Amino acid sequence: MKGENNFNGSHQSIYNAKDNLQYIVVNAPELGILKSLGIIENAMIQKLMTHRFGGPVLIKVDSSEIAIGKDIAEKIIVRG
Amino acid sequence: MAKCHDINEDPRIYEKPNKILLMGNPNVGKSVFFSNMTGIHVVSSNFAGTTVTYTEGTVNIGDKTYTLIDVPGTYSLEATSEAEEVAIRFLNSNPVAVICVLDATNLERNIKLGLEIQKYNVPVVYALNLLDVAKRHGTEINVGLLSRELGAPVVPTVAVKGEGIEELKQELQNVLNRTQFTCSNCSACPSCQSCSRNELDIWSRAKYIASRVRKNVDGNLSFLDRLGKSMLKPWPGIPIALLIIILSLGVIVGGGKALRAVLLLPLVNNVLVPLFKSLFSAIVPEGVLLNILIGEYGIFVIGFEWIIALIFPYVFLFYVVFSFLEDSGVLPRLSVLFDNIMRKMGIQGGSMITILMGYGCAVPAIIGSRTATTRKERLIISAVVCFAVPCISQTGALISLFANFSPVLLVLMLLLSLVIMITVSTVLSRILKGKVDPMVIEIPNLLMPNAKAYGKKLMLRMKHFLVEAEAPMLLSVVIAALLKESGLLNYIAVYLEPIVSGWLGLPKDAVIALILGIVRREMAVAPLLAIEGLTALQAFVGGTVALLYLPCLSVFGILSKEFNTKVALAIGTSTVVTAFTVAGLINQIAHLFM
Repeated sequence: MKGENNFNGSHQSIYNAKDNLQYIVVNAPELGILKSLGIIENAMIQKLMTHRFGGPVLIKVDSSEIAIGKDIAEKIIVRG
Repeated sequence: MAKCHDINEDPRIYEKPNKILLMGNPNVGKSVFFSNMTGIHVVSSNFAGTTVTYTEGTVNIGDKTYTLIDVPGTYSLEATSEAEEVAIRFLNSNPVAVICVLDATNLERNIKLGLEIQKYNVPVVYALNLLDVAKRHGTEINVGLLSRELGAPVVPTVAVKGEGIEELKQELQNVLNRTQFTCSNCSACPSCQSCSRNELDIWSRAKYIASRVRKNVDGNLSFLDRLGKSMLKPWPGIPIALLIIILSLGVIVGGGKALRAVLLLPLVNNVLVPLFKSLFSAIVPEGVLLNILIGEYGIFVIGFEWIIALIFPYVFLFYVVFSFLEDSGVLPRLSVLFDNIMRKMGIQGGSMITILMGYGCAVPAIIGSRTATTRKERLIISAVVCFAVPCISQTGALISLFANFSPVLLVLMLLLSLVIMITVSTVLSRILKGKVDPMVIEIPNLLMPNAKAYGKKLMLRMKHFLVEAEAPMLLSVVIAALLKESGLLNYIAVYLEPIVSGWLGLPKDAVIALILGIVRREMAVAPLLAIEGLTALQAFVGGTVALLYLPCLSVFGILSKEFNTKVALAIGTSTVVTAFTVAGLINQIAHLFM
């Protein structure tokens, strides 16, 4: 489900999502650090970019910029 | 979970009166407040039973003296990490007040922590920091409204410029002068209630308050802001990162060399050594004792030359550069840019910062590896630092060794160390059990470091280095002197000759480098400098042995402490084996072509 802008809420991982758009988190791994940073169910996050060749995803939660490694980013499912 | 009637496990902390806690998210600038408010006498301590360290100092508010504790930064107080548990324990240890530093550029999450702290029944004063950065990003905050919403004083500050600190102290004094309230009625204590207090409530409230107090204005990003953003993209991020690394090397090596040549070497050769030579010649008769003191390997000759003129300049310059990179916010950006390479090696971007620290000294790097979230990652980082990362003392000695030959040697050595680094990391990530957590880091603002905080950090680091490295260094110098004078050295050399001369192709005198290298890493190189007629190949082979050889005694000690003796021995033996194998192979293969 790469790059589909289906506003009925097709689910995709933040890793594959299109840059510079806002998304709502559907499901995120149960990691303390993710919760502390506000990456929880129903949180609104903005995807900035994905670094190529297995690099991290850069997102914005409220006003803070966060870098998430590929293996976790792939498991953060969003819609929107 | 907070329990207000638990006896704190660290009695030192619990019993210390008049504690003021300095708390906040990571990267909000707490250390700038700390260094602005405290004097010179700052102590770094370990929280008993944990791997968490904190700094404490004294601060005068009004006419009373308080202990100010810089609590490690936490994103929340949900006890999901050791740092958070320690923060909670500090809050439960009867502090008289808390200074909570809020980041104006990240209001929601910071206010959330601010609200969580209020649960602990301690008077809080908030400092709203980084207002200048927020303004540049197009945000203005209604401080008065924020103060009303939080029900506590909020002081606007720009800590790096020292603005607002006096007002903060004033508010603190007001708060402290009020009747102190203690947790006497436990059933009323909010912390004792069921902890299923909905965390979502606090987040919602934090977001609500943030949206109310924030006003959007025209932003005007500064050069550093834009540079910080551009460094997060592969282009121009990676070229900028490489430029920074090369510049850093240049400053460390160039600055170190200059400091050594212009100031320290003349100091040693023209002042210190002659002074002690004439002093001891006058009172000690000729013989073994005199030689040990001021002979060729004399303590007061070699000791000064190696420690003051060879090692100190590079160590100092390294920490000058590294502390700057830390405080300015460059390092997490490097982690982002190189995370994909680190992943292929079996670790993650955040490990890079710890490994870079190893280029200064392996001991703080191995301690710093505590930030890794799994044991496997800690082991890999520590092994990489021991195998393939030369500490700055060793690098300085290697540069001096190769100075007489082609600069190609230095480049080859660098390439060799990178190859070993990648090999060790990849192999260990396959054979060690467990996993390495992927990187999750917040990117701080790119800023010019605050001079006072930077200076204090630098001083603290130099103090630690001198205290920890001095003794082993002197010890190895003493051993060198004793071995030479007693003739024991020649005896050992005969035994090791097949390896040293046959396999490695090094002159007999190189044996002392192998022996001293057990105590200090640069001592595996420094003796080679004294050998006449060393060929380029011999210098490279000797350098390779030194690079891959045992970590020094201090590192051995820290490995045993942070892990266990088994790990220390494993790393010790495998580094020796690798050193001799690789160096010997280089020698033998080179001879096939010569």
